Amino acid sequence: MFSLIGLSLLGGALAVDNRASVRLMISQPICAGLLAGLVLGNPVDGFVAGALLQMLFLGMVPVRGIAAPDLALGGVTAGALYARLPGSLNAGAGEKGLILFMSLACALVVGVAGRALHRLWERRSYAFTESALALAERGRFGPASALHFSTVLAHFAAGFVVTAAAYVAGAFVISHLVPAVAGGWCEPLASLPVLVPFIGAGALLLLNLTRVRLFLFVAGFCAVFLVAFFRG
Amino acid sequence: MEQGRTQTGVWVEAEDAPPARRPRGAVLKRHWNAVWRLFFIQSSRNERTMDGLGLFAILSPFLSKWARSREDGAALARRYLGYFNAGLYLSSAVAGVIVNMEERRARGEPVTPERIDRTAAALSSVLAARANYFFDALLIPLGLTIASIFAIRSSYVGLVIFLAVYNYYHFQSRIGGYYRGAELGEGVGDAYVPRLFREERFVAGCAAFASGVFAALLFLKARSAGGAGFIGGGAALLAGSAVLRRRFSVVRSVVLVLFATALCLVIYGSVRLR
Repeated sequence: MFSLIGLSLLGGALAVDNRASVRLMISQPICAGLLAGLVLGNPVDGFVAGALLQMLFLGMVPVRGIAAPDLALGGVTAGALYARLPGSLNAGAGEKGLILFMSLACALVVGVAGRALHRLWERRSYAFTESALALAERGRFGPASALHFSTVLAHFAAGFVVTAAAYVAGAFVISHLVPAVAGGWCEPLASLPVLVPFIGAGALLLLNLTRVRLFLFVAGFCAVFLVAFFRG
Repeated sequence: MEQGRTQTGVWVEAEDAPPARRPRGAVLKRHWNAVWRLFFIQSSRNERTMDGLGLFAILSPFLSKWARSREDGAALARRYLGYFNAGLYLSSAVAGVIVNMEERRARGEPVTPERIDRTAAALSSVLAARANYFFDALLIPLGLTIASIFAIRSSYVGLVIFLAVYNYYHFQSRIGGYYRGAELGEGVGDAYVPRLFREERFVAGCAAFASGVFAALLFLKARSAGGAGFIGGGAALLAGSAVLRRRFSVVRSVVLVLFATALCLVIYGSVRLR
């Protein structure tokens, strides 16, 4: 129960960092996963899940109004599920891979749902501006400004509720599904941490397709192999 | 801008010189109540007025001082509760410029509300474009690539480097930008904007180089994890991800590639079992 409250508070705080524009970047999945793992006493696995979610979205440039998923809440969800479930289910290597995959899938669902929730918020939150205008025209600048800051609480509450719901639902589904379906067939899933980062590398390659940047990309690539070659 | 120099910015040609620079401590003390508010500017963002309410909340500590009468206060509120969209990182500089110009107007200098609105609108689009490109397309991808390079070696050091480098520029833009705007007024067009993000090309180069390092390390890790099969699978994933991102949205391409990878691994596991 305490861990659920701790995670929900973390989700709320990261939603404020992400949506209320504090933007210290602790809401990036690589950091959110680590923090979720710390809350649950398993920072290593939380960090792994958060880092893999981050690598899935490497190279994503959120300009020109593209629909970026809510990776802050996704990172907390992935980190929390992967930090908690393998230990509680006594998972082997294959089962751990399946749990990792399902944690990432849950994080994607939460990210998309979080984005949809935020778009709904952006459509409706003009009501705050209207109320603030009515107050300010009567010379009540303080209460009008307080209306703006009340929206920070709304972001915190949304993060709190979404994180709690996602963690409870995700843990329930995964802890029932994995023991029922896991078997030898899922053993290759243990190699997901090796393969998933290539998805991010592909996106980074795409981001560096101009002539000079592609040259530097290839230079970085070759430099590593040169170092590896000379180090044997 | 140097004292006594005439402002000839691209947005407004002002005849009056900007005020002399005050000691930094005094400026800090006077503006602190606005500075912490900068960090919540987009909290009430909506589709109609964007960050209008956020800008109003930043300016609200000053509004009662600027208003000459109740009607003037209502007019100020209507102006600043309208549309405002200057991006995240340098909206602070625009807010600072507005504070500077409104203070001069309140002192009786010949600064009209139209001139303030025109300056804010022109600066908003220019600064938003520059800051968004630098942060979203260069600095954040570079920082996250460095964090990922260390993460594949199970180290948190990259994350610390990312947070330190990003927040150095972040605070410099948001707090420093505000103070520069409040000091220089519309003079930021000459004195501040040309000096912004001069390391842009260097950061872009570092981001490209770090991306290459990241990709190479993945191949080395794949070789040590399982040999040719992993290297081939990784190369296919890299190419597939790059191709799909050109055709689909980010989320769709990520979902497609992730599920396809898991499916291939499961099919491989099932075949191996038989």
